[in-house]
Amino acid sequence: MENHSLIQRLIARPEFGPFVLLVVEIGVFWGFNHDFLSPQNISNTLAFTVELGLIALAMTLLMTSGEFDLSVGSLFGFSPVLMWTLFNSGVTSLEMGFVVALVVAALIGLVNGWFVTQLKIPSFLVTLGMLLVVRGSALFITDGFPQRTWSAEGSWLAEALVGDFFIGPFRIYMSLFWFIAAAIALGYVLTQSRTGNWIQAAGGNPNAARARGVNVNRVKIGLFVLSSLMASLAGVISSLRTSAANPNSGTGYELEVIAMVVIGGTALTGGRGTIIGTVLGILILRVMRNGIVLIGVPGLAYNIFIGAIILGMMALHSWLERRHQAGT
Amino acid sequence: MAEPLIRMQNIRKSYGRVQALEDANFHVNEREIVGLLGDNGAGKSTLIKVLSGAVPLTSGDIFIRGKKVTLRSTSDAIAQGIETIYQDSALVTQLSIARNLFLGREPIKPPRFLNRMDQEAMNTVARDLLKQVGISKNIPPTTPIGSLSGGERQAVAIARAMHFDSDLIILDEPTNNLGVAETQGVLSFVRSARDSGHSCIFIAHNIHHVFQVVDRIVVMRRGKVVADDIDPKTTTVTEVERIITGMSDKEIRDAVADGKPSH
Repeated sequence: MENHSLIQRLIARPEFGPFVLLVVEIGVFWGFNHDFLSPQNISNTLAFTVELGLIALAMTLLMTSGEFDLSVGSLFGFSPVLMWTLFNSGVTSLEMGFVVALVVAALIGLVNGWFVTQLKIPSFLVTLGMLLVVRGSALFITDGFPQRTWSAEGSWLAEALVGDFFIGPFRIYMSLFWFIAAAIALGYVLTQSRTGNWIQAAGGNPNAARARGVNVNRVKIGLFVLSSLMASLAGVISSLRTSAANPNSGTGYELEVIAMVVIGGTALTGGRGTIIGTVLGILILRVMRNGIVLIGVPGLAYNIFIGAIILGMMALHSWLERRHQAGT
Repeated sequence: MAEPLIRMQNIRKSYGRVQALEDANFHVNEREIVGLLGDNGAGKSTLIKVLSGAVPLTSGDIFIRGKKVTLRSTSDAIAQGIETIYQDSALVTQLSIARNLFLGREPIKPPRFLNRMDQEAMNTVARDLLKQVGISKNIPPTTPIGSLSGGERQAVAIARAMHFDSDLIILDEPTNNLGVAETQGVLSFVRSARDSGHSCIFIAHNIHHVFQVVDRIVVMRRGKVVADDIDPKTTTVTEVERIITGMSDKEIRDAVADGKPSH
C-alpha cells in the first residue's frame, strides 16, 4: 500500500512525463544505433548541451516569475564577440574582457527588467527589441566577421570554463561542472529559499505577492539580470571551447531554450517551475537532435520532431493539471 | 468614550470630477464586527480601498488608536495592522497553504545567509491555524490553494490575518459565490477572529449574511455615511434596506410591486 502511493506520487509529479519521454527516447535511439551510447557520442552531446542548459536554467526561474527573455540568443553571440574584440585590440586582458562582457550583459538584463517592470511593457516586446539591439551591435562591432580566437591557449579563464579531461573513455569539459553547480544552486533557490517563494508568487499572483510586501519588481529585474548573465557566460564558454566568436552565433537559441523549459513542466504563464524538469527538457531536445542525425533521419527534419514533442508534452501537462484539480 | 481602533474623518476622494467620497466619517471599535452596506456606487469600495492603502485619499484623516497615520500602499496598511481580504485575489493558487500563509514573511532557518525557509515550522503553524479557524477536514498544509474550495480559501486568508496579528480584517464580499454550508463556515471564521481580539469590517451584498454576524451596521449612500449605529438586534432587514436606498416604505412597496429589486 505504501509502495503504491509512492508510485502514485511519483506519477503525479510534473517531472514524470518528461522523464519517461527521455528514457523512451534514449531507448529508441539506442535500439536503432548502438553507437548512440558510445562514450564519444555522449561526450560530444554533453559539451554543447550544458551550454544551452545554462541559459535554460536561468530561463526557468524567469518564466516561473511570469516573464521570459528572447534576447538570450543574441547575448550568446554578442558577449564572446565583445570579449574577443577587447582582447584582440589590446584594450584588456582576456579575463578583463570576460568581466566587461558580464557587466555589459548584466546592464542589458537590468534594462530589460526596467522596461518590463517600470514601463509595464510585456517582456515579449521588450526582449524582442533587445534581441535586435544586441544582435545588431554584435554585427556592427565585427562588420559581420568572426573574431580571431586562437590565443586563449593556456589562459586560466579558458581552463576554468572549458578545460577538458578524461574520466575513463569520457571526455569531460569543466563546463559540465558549472552546469551541475548552477542546476543545484538554482534548484535550491526555487524550492528551498524564500526568494523561490517570491519568484513563484510573482508569477502566480503578483498582486497578492505585492500586498504581502514582496517586491515583485525587484525579483523580476534580478531574474532578467540572471538570464542575461547566464546567456553571456554560455556564449563565452561555447566560444572558448570551439575557438570561434561569430556575431551570428546563438540565432534561434531563445526559442529552443524556452521549448526546453516548457517541455520540462514549467508554466509559460508563470507561477510554477521546476529545475529538474528543465534539466530533463534540455536532455530531451539535445538527445533528439543528436539521435535523429545518428539514426539517419535528415537533420533538416529535426524541427518536426521538436514541434511534435512540444505539442505532445503540452497536451500531457494540461491533462495532468486537469486531472489533478478534479482529483482533489 | 475610549478612542476607537480606526477612525476615518472627513474623508474625500475624487476621481477627476467624480466625487466618490464626500466627507465620509467612519469608525471601528476594538473587537467589533462592523457591517458596511450600501448600494452599488455608494462608496463602500472606495472607503475600503482608502483604508487598505490601495488608493490615496484626496483629503481627510485616518487615525489608528488616536494616532494619525498615512497609508501610501497596501504594505503600509498591513504594517499598521490593517489586512484586506478580497475574494480570490489574496492568495497564490500555485503555492501551498503554508507558503501562502507566510508569503513575504517566511521564517528562515539558520544559518541566515543560506536564505532557507523553515518549511517544517511553517507547516506546523499552518496546521494549528487551520484548526483554529475551524476547518474541520484534515487538509495537509502542503496542499496547493488551487485545490481548495472558495470557503476554504477565505479561511486561509482569515487565518493569515489572525496569525500576523492584524488588528483590523476587512472582508470584501467574502460570501459571494459560496454555498450555504461554506457561507456559515466563513461567518464562523469571522466570529472566531473577533473572539480572539480582532476587529472586522464585513462587506456583503447579501444583507442576511451581514445580519448574522455583525455587531453594528454602517450604511453609505452617495459617498457619505448616512447611518453608523444600526443595531442588527433591534432593526429589521427592511428598515436597513430603506436606509440603503433612501426610499420611504411606500416607495419600496411600489418598487417591489413593480417587480424591481429593492436593493
